[in-house]
Formats: sequence, structure tokens, C-alpha cells
Amino acid sequence: MSDHTHDPVNDTADTAEAVVRTEGLVKEFGSFRALDGLDLSVRRGEVHGFLGPNGAGKSTTIRILLGLMRHDGGRVRLFGGDPWRDGTRLRAGLSYVPGDVALWPGLTGGQCIDILASVHGGLRADRRADLIERFDLDPTKRARDYSKGNRQKVALVAALAAEVDLMVLDEPTSGLDPLMEQVFQEVIRERRDQGTTVLLSSHILSEVEALADRVSIIRKGRNVTTGSLRELRRHTRTTVHAVTRAEVTGLDALAAVADLASGRGEAGVDTRFTVGPDGLGDAVGLVHAAGVESLTVEPPSLDALFLSRYSDEPEQTGQSGQPGERPGKHAVREPA
Amino acid sequence: MTGGGVGILLRIQARAQWRRATVWVLAMVASMAFTALAVAGLYDTPAKVASYGEAVVSDALVAINGHVEGIDTLGGIVQDEFGFMGSFLLPLMGLALVAAMTRTEEESGRLESLLAGRVGRTAPVVTSLVIATVAIVAMVVGFVVSLLASGIDPADAVLYSLASGMVSLVFATVAATAAQVVLHGRGVYMIGFAVIGLSYVLRGVGDVRDSFWVWLSPLGWLEKTAPFADQQRWWVLLIPAAVSAALAAAALTLAARRDLGASLYRPGPGPAAASRRLLGPVGLAIHGQRGAFLGWLVGSVLLAAVMGALAQEMVDAALGNPDLSRALGITEGDVVDGFLAVVQFYLAIVAAGYLVQSLGTLRHEEVGGRLEPMLAGGLSRPRWLAAQVAVMLGGLVVVVVVSAVVFGATTALSTGESGYVGTLVGAGVAYLPAELLVGAVGAFLFGLAPRMFGLTWLLFGLVAAIGLLGPGLQLAQWIQDLSPLTHVGNPPSGTVEAGQLIGLAVAAALLGVGAFVGFRRRRIPQG
Repeated sequence: MSDHTHDPVNDTADTAEAVVRTEGLVKEFGSFRALDGLDLSVRRGEVHGFLGPNGAGKSTTIRILLGLMRHDGGRVRLFGGDPWRDGTRLRAGLSYVPGDVALWPGLTGGQCIDILASVHGGLRADRRADLIERFDLDPTKRARDYSKGNRQKVALVAALAAEVDLMVLDEPTSGLDPLMEQVFQEVIRERRDQGTTVLLSSHILSEVEALADRVSIIRKGRNVTTGSLRELRRHTRTTVHAVTRAEVTGLDALAAVADLASGRGEAGVDTRFTVGPDGLGDAVGLVHAAGVESLTVEPPSLDALFLSRYSDEPEQTGQSGQPGERPGKHAVREPA
Repeated sequence: MTGGGVGILLRIQARAQWRRATVWVLAMVASMAFTALAVAGLYDTPAKVASYGEAVVSDALVAINGHVEGIDTLGGIVQDEFGFMGSFLLPLMGLALVAAMTRTEEESGRLESLLAGRVGRTAPVVTSLVIATVAIVAMVVGFVVSLLASGIDPADAVLYSLASGMVSLVFATVAATAAQVVLHGRGVYMIGFAVIGLSYVLRGVGDVRDSFWVWLSPLGWLEKTAPFADQQRWWVLLIPAAVSAALAAAALTLAARRDLGASLYRPGPGPAAASRRLLGPVGLAIHGQRGAFLGWLVGSVLLAAVMGALAQEMVDAALGNPDLSRALGITEGDVVDGFLAVVQFYLAIVAAGYLVQSLGTLRHEEVGGRLEPMLAGGLSRPRWLAAQVAVMLGGLVVVVVVSAVVFGATTALSTGESGYVGTLVGAGVAYLPAELLVGAVGAFLFGLAPRMFGLTWLLFGLVAAIGLLGPGLQLAQWIQDLSPLTHVGNPPSGTVEAGQLIGLAVAAALLGVGAFVGFRRRRIPQG
């Protein structure tokens, strides 16, 4: 067993509120370090986006949270308990959609839904019927005859209809068409409004952007960044595209402005630039002074954020594994 | 808290596995009932019963069927007749039931969904053993009823049935432990088959040499309970019970400590790119069928080697009673040939089994979704199937010839007389058309009605049962004629008629053509 000494100083109200909490989580497969000091905190009632490229350690983290794997170092708490030791009791309060959905080929979709739900303390019949209708699923078909998307729907209906406090979803919309993705987002919002906590691991940034209250981005088993989208965006740049009657002057004097490009077009003066969060007001003021014909201000998308984090990070060479000062970690203050 | 959720998992697995378990129980009980009732019908007077034990055949086959104490009773005859089949079916039942509910389930990913709920890590092991035990108990009850219906004493019937159930139970726990150690369901079967083979060899050699080796084999424990002898040994049941308990405890300990998807043995990284050999339909077919081929080759060669090595001892045992031999007019040459023919027949069953399993890998390719992308490119359906069939046929010839050569060589060593290799290779090759006919039925089903492919195993079971039980139970000729193997003519002791072989080959070829035509037209994939 790894170190589980109780630390009363860290065990504050914040911990009590966290449905999921890992600190300095380490998992090794032979000589390969899959998790290298991962911190993750999911608060009660939030939708927490969990992002990272393939092989970053998302599924490994989730399996440790579910007590399916044992961690080699650090600390992990699920509902305040140890998922490896007390997993059976703790997991009664959650439902799960795995990255690869496997069903019983000879059973029908409806039977599979009931089986999957039964291991999570059952489901609400009204929700089951509602979700089957909204996801447009035929529950009388045999699982072997389902397409990939329909197998995914079976797992989703089972997880979303369950009466649980936490839903752990590992890339839950892979294989769903855009229409069904919309349904999925609606249902997640409804569940959140009812107080359910959601840990949403995903590659689809727009989905996380649409749903997540807070986001953790990991890479190579470590945190890259954590925070609300607003906080994360504070560290990235807004793209501005303006067409003005006169030339915009003074932009190059602003330190926050970069990538400035300007030219005369048919409709007026075409100006493009990016600006950091502290210079946005001044920059827009200067644009306004030049007489706006059209103005597009794009907040940094999660895609931009995701990509910038990865391209900015130097490759980690050493495996120091020390908690605290890790070069790859961006300290983002959590809101008070 | 690692063992919670057994109740939930039991309900789930009962729903998902009841069909498999029921088929096993019914097949086992049917085999036993059939054997017992046929024996009772055939040996309906004390004189006939007594004659069985004195017959040369049963003496010569002690290595194959086992040494039966109380062979002069009706029950003893049943035990002897069921001996060879039971040596494989009883272990296989325990193995298959548990493997399907543990590592195979984990490999498929279904276990991840279940263990993410209120189900503890050790629950799959507990559940699989509970369901396997229930199936085994049902089988034991069925055995007892079958034996009672044949007029066998209740106490004898119960001891024999219990001892048989214990064999299944030991192998259920072997599978449960193996499932914690290796990564794939296939690996569990490989370990299981290895233990079955070892048990069979230890029991066989131990019986012929009358050594303690018998006591090292789960099959030996069944034999040593001596259910039909004057002196029964009920206490021997404690050995498999203790071994099962120890193995179950080991499986539970390992399951409680390991990660999901982890194993003690894990293969290392492989080549980053496919070799030239792997590209192309033939290379891929070889890769897909390699496991089945090697497994059956090893099994077949092992059977041939052991039987060959024991040939002289078997003949000595048969001739141990000179009065009897003289009375029956048996010369040494006849006994040897009779023995070789029986073993050669078993080797033919093994070869047919290899074909059926290899065809099964094609079905696995389809169900696993790998056939679809293969055929989505420039590779035509007939070419893909032809490559697979070619690899299978090559494998069959290798299995048959290598086994015959090994059998001939070990027989020559054992008896000190040369010339067996040529005879036995000839006998082995003579069985090829019959083996191909069994395989062709499987190919035909795969080509036309792939979801019915499982029937091929039923056919194989019938062929094996008819072959193993037919002569001893003197089954009606029309039943024996249902098996293609019967038509070969029992070489090397019997005479092979070329006309029969040609007939078998033509039938196989016609079915083979049907397979290609059907495969060309049918919907792919059919899961």
C-alpha cells in the first residue's frame, strides 16, 4: 500500500467538498510512469472537464479513482474514502461510461442497460424511458446488431439514468452523431442542475467548453493546468478583427498587443491582432476611436488554449516527481 | 471490501452464462447416460459383464481409458468406456465455464463496466466458481440418475459421480488461478490444456507402470476412489477438495491484489513494423491460425509419443495371460496392430478437432470485426478464403504426418522392431479425406450460415463420441456409419478401400466448393 497518512492540515473544508481529489498521484507500469504526480480536484455539483492527448493518463486516473487499479504513490480520495480499499461501498454512489463500451452480444440493449445500471445501485424507470426516447434507441435489438454509436447510447442511458451523486464519463460521445451529442449535452446540464457531479474526460473540446465549469488539462501524467474556463482564458490571448473607417493608431505602442496586421480593404481599414487580457480594454478603445465598420472579438477557444499549452511546454526530460515545484505546472489560482 | 457485489454479479452472470452452462451440463449428462444405458443394454448378464474384464481390448487400453478397479462390474465397464472421453470432457467443462466468466470477460471490457459499480475485485472469481460449482452439482446429479437408471448400486453411483465432479472442480479452480496470471482468455485455455495433458500423461504412465505418478494427477484421483471395487476409497475425494480449495484461495488472493487488466505474465513490446511475411493473405492467415495449430500439434504429438512409448508394455499386458491369448487365437502381431489402429483413430479425431478449431478462427476474425477491413481493399473474398484454407490444409498435413512419424518412431523404439513409421504414416494419411469432410462441413456453414458455425463442434462431438464409444458399446452399424472416420477402415489393422476414401474426398470437395460460393454471396460481417 502506498502512503495514506492522514494530513489534518490539508484535510480542510475544501477536501470535504471535493467529490474526487488526488494529490501527487503516481502510477507505474513496469518502468513506464503513466502518472507522475497528478493533482485533480472535482467539487461537488460541478461538471469537470478532464482533457489531455492520447496516453496522457486520463483513463489510468479514472481507473484508479474507481478502484480498478492501485496507485503507487500520492493520495487519492473518492467521496472522502480510499477507492482501492472501500471501492465497493464508494462506487455505489457513482456511474461510469468506459472509453470502450463492451456489451453482452446475445442480450438486448434494454437488458444491457438494466445490467449496467444494477451494478450502480439501479436506475429510475422514468429516466430510463425518457433517455431511451431522447437518444432514439431501440432497446429490443441484440447488442451484437448495434452500431458503435448505439452501443455507446446503451452505456450512456445506463449511466445517465442511474440515481447517483457522481458520473464518471470517459470520452462518452465517441461515435455519437451531432444531434445525439446535443441531447447528451442537454441531459448533462439537467443532471448538473439536479446537483449531480460530473467528471467528463474528453477529446472534444467544444463539448467540454459547452459543459464544463472547470477544466483540468493533463499531459504525460502531470497537470498542465487547472481552473475555470474564465481563469484559463485569462492567460491566453483574444483575437480581434476590426474594419474601421480610419487607420487604428497607437496599437503598436500597447505591450499587450501582438500579431498586428493592417491593410486597406474595400470596406475600410482591415486590422487584425491578438491581445492579452490586461490590454483588451485599451485596444478596443483605440479601435473604437477609428470608427468601427465591423468588429469581431474572439475569446480564446479551448482549442487555442489546449494547443498553446502543448506547444508552449518544453518536453519534460527528467522525472523528478517532486510535488510542488514542477516546471510543467502552471499555477492557476482558484477563485476565492 | 474487495469481495462485495457477489449477489449482483451472480444475477448478471447467471443471465449471461446460463445457456453455456446448460449446454455443458446437458452434453455431459447425455454422454454419461448414453454410455451407461448402452453398457447396461449390452452387458445384460453376469457372464457378459465378466467377459468384458477379460477381454484383451480393455487390458491393452489401460493407458488410454485408465486402470479401472472393479472392471468385472457393470459400473466398472461404464467407468472404462467413459474413461477416455471423461479424461478431457470433465476438465474442459470446469475450465471453459470459469474462463468464460473471468479473463475472457475482463478481456472483452465488460468486467470494467461491472467492477466500476458495487462489485468488488474478487467477486468475478467467486461468482465464476459458484456458477461452475452449481453446474458441476447438476452434472453430478445427472450422472447419478443415469447410473441408477442403468441398474448400478446407489453408493457406487454417488462415489463415481462425485469423483467425476471433483475433476471438473479442480480444473475450474485451475482456470480461476490461471485467469489471474495471464492476460488473455486464450492463455487460460493454454494453461488449462497443458494441465489436462500433463494429468492425462501422468495417469496413463502411472497406470501402465503401476507407479505413484497416478497420485499426482487429478484424473488419477478419480480412478483411485475405486467406486466400483470391493474396497472403495471415499477419503480420496478429500485430495481434489483440498487442492480446489487451495487453488481457489490462491485465485482470490491474486485477484484482490492486482489491477484490472494486469497479469503476472505480460509479453514485452514487439516489432514496430510488420515483416514482409506478415503482409499478404497467406502471411496473415498463418499468424491467425498459428496458436490453434501449435496447440493441436503439441497435443497430437504428445499423445502419439506416449502411446508409442507404451506400446510394448501394452502388448505385454495383453499377452500376460497366455491361456487367454491362445484361447482367443491372438498372436502378438494382431495385438500390436489392434493397439496401433485404436491410437491412430484417436489421432484422427485430434486432427479433425484441429480443423474445426482453425475454421473457428475465421469466424473469430469476422465477429471481431477484422474480416471487414481485410475485404474492403483489393483482396477478393475467394482469395482471402483460399489463403486461409491453404494454411489450414498445410497445417493438417503437418499435424497428421508429424504425429504418425513420432508414433511410428516411438513404437519402433518401444517394441524394438522397425518398419512402423511407414505403416503409420500411411494409416494417418488414409484418414485425411474423412478429416477433411468434417472440416468441409464447418467451412460450408461458415460460407453459407456463419451464425450456425457452432454446429460444427456438435458434429465433431458426435464423430468423437461415435468413434470412442462405438466399438466398445457395439453401436448399430448405421450409427457408426454416420461418422466419416468409420468409412476409412480402421488402418493399420483393418483394410482401407480406395473407393471409400475417394467418396469421402469428393463429398468434402463438393462442400468446399459450396463454402466458396456461399462466402462470395453472403452478407459480411455477420456478428
